[in-house]
Amino acid sequence: MNILEIRGVNKSFDGKLVLDGLSFSVAPGEIYGLLGPNGSGKTTTINILCSLLAADSGTTRVMGTDSGDERKRLIGFAPQEISIYRDLTCAENLDFFSRLYGLSSQQRRERVSELIEAFHLGEYANTCVGNLSGGWQRRINIAVAQVHAPRLLILDEPTAGLDIEARHELWQLIQRLHQSGIGILLTTHHLEEAELLCSRIGIVRNGHIAREGTLAELRDSIPAQQLAMVEAGDEEAVSARAREHGWEVRRYGGKPTLWLPRIFSLAELVEVFAGISVTSMALKPVGLEHIYLEVTGAGYTV
Amino acid sequence: MPYRIFFESIAVSRRILIELARMRRSLVFWVIFPTLMLLLFGTMYAGGKHPGTSFDHTAPGILVGAALFFSCLGGTVSTIAAERERRTLRRLLLSPLSPASYFLGIVVAYLVIALAQTVIVYGIALGFGGHFQGNWLLGLAIIGLCVFSYVGLGFFFGARFARRTEDVNGPVASFGVPLLVLGGTFFPVALLPENLLMLAQADPVFHMNQALKGVWAEGKTLVEVLPNLMFLAGFAVLALWLGIRSYRAMLSQEKSA
Ligand SMILES: Nc1ncnc2c1ncn2[C@@H]1O[C@H](COP(=O)(O)OP(=O)(O)O)[C@@H](O)[C@H]1O
Ligand SMILES: [Mg+2]
Repeated sequence: MNILEIRGVNKSFDGKLVLDGLSFSVAPGEIYGLLGPNGSGKTTTINILCSLLAADSGTTRVMGTDSGDERKRLIGFAPQEISIYRDLTCAENLDFFSRLYGLSSQQRRERVSELIEAFHLGEYANTCVGNLSGGWQRRINIAVAQVHAPRLLILDEPTAGLDIEARHELWQLIQRLHQSGIGILLTTHHLEEAELLCSRIGIVRNGHIAREGTLAELRDSIPAQQLAMVEAGDEEAVSARAREHGWEVRRYGGKPTLWLPRIFSLAELVEVFAGISVTSMALKPVGLEHIYLEVTGAGYTV
Repeated sequence: MPYRIFFESIAVSRRILIELARMRRSLVFWVIFPTLMLLLFGTMYAGGKHPGTSFDHTAPGILVGAALFFSCLGGTVSTIAAERERRTLRRLLLSPLSPASYFLGIVVAYLVIALAQTVIVYGIALGFGGHFQGNWLLGLAIIGLCVFSYVGLGFFFGARFARRTEDVNGPVASFGVPLLVLGGTFFPVALLPENLLMLAQADPVFHMNQALKGVWAEGKTLVEVLPNLMFLAGFAVLALWLGIRSYRAMLSQEKSA
């Protein structure tokens, strides 16, 4: 059984359609990445899952349950904003929230030390959250979502606003969580994050999943095996030559990028552009970025 | 179910008390302010002659007006405002915590604070020669009603108006402090002219003071303070009702925010 099933969810705010037939599912042991620009309805989706908002129509099921207290115990949600008690220590925050889930004092002690261990919080266990750096606050914000050992962990933009170092540490942490076998739903507008962490990615566009799959499947969904960046004094000549070979040309941020239908060597490429004075040439694998831009139809010119 | 509510409200009040103990600033205010007011007014009315009786009569007003008003009303408002400001209220909504337990947890936390303030105020009064008389249980019941009224109003103001703590301190002080004075917190109501005395009848603080003064300073019985007690009980119910209603409205608003 899927941990999470979302079918045909619609939601509008003041007549503005935000979710339009959104459907996807998360299987056990999977990190599903909901990828979309700011304002594309990711948080709204989560709020509906957590029963904070009601959908206009459609169904959401967590381990087969529709709603209610039972469902609250199946979901662990770490909101985008740090939402824990600043004047309590890490250990006190964990203890307080485990009380709300009805853990006995024995269970609480065990769970709190497990989480402190798993999140490498030992050093700061007795430090007030308000005195910790943003990265550590994020950690404890996620740890609190796990006091009741949920089956589905929801992380809303878990690394938004973090510096590079803290972001990498958090990525490692999420990978470790994943190894524990729970299902994770992660939202992000950070392509590198989705590429690195997610076993499956759904790209949100106009309120529904416009494209979905593993990174390999997404790569296969566009007719390019490889990308080539060719700089030359005469860009038009480069584009014309590429089109002669039937290759697509995209301009990401102005520079022409060629979609190669198979893997080329640099030598082969040099041959293709013989006769044009090329100043530099580079080959690049197809990244999530290119698929994403293709799906959202933004960020490039033809 | 009752067990769960009990367990959850203890968790909530425990948390609030830990936070308060750690922030200290409000705790200091809640101790220092009533202490100084008690010493000041106690000594003033004593005029150097009857320190004992003067402290008997000063303590109830100080407890109700200078202590409980700021802790139970002001404290509840800041607790709720902080819960929204820091987004922890949303987190509570995600948990199975029942709204009733949360409400009860806050009431219990401020009952504990109120009890501590009672011990401090009366400790000082006794230390300065005051006497303690009358039924202590009845007095505690009156203090309980004061706490319910203040916490209920705290929920009302906090849930309805306070997006941030600063939003509400001004309005509460500008309407609250005059009500404290009118209710005979700092000056005996004997000083009030006829028309103000009439007005004071509608002031819940007046009845809090009259009831507590009657029982603990003058040794009055339940029957003698019954009119004040009835008014107070009615007001406490009204305040709690208003508080619960605003709290509910706040929860549904917070969900969609
Ligand atoms: N409570 C609300 N009332 C009105 N509009 C809202 C509300 N919540 C979200 N929206 C709108 O819905 C859209 C999607 O928001 P959101 O789900 O937060 O996007 P994301 O998380 O993908 O950045 C935005 O245009 C936002 O302004
Ligand atoms: Mg969001």
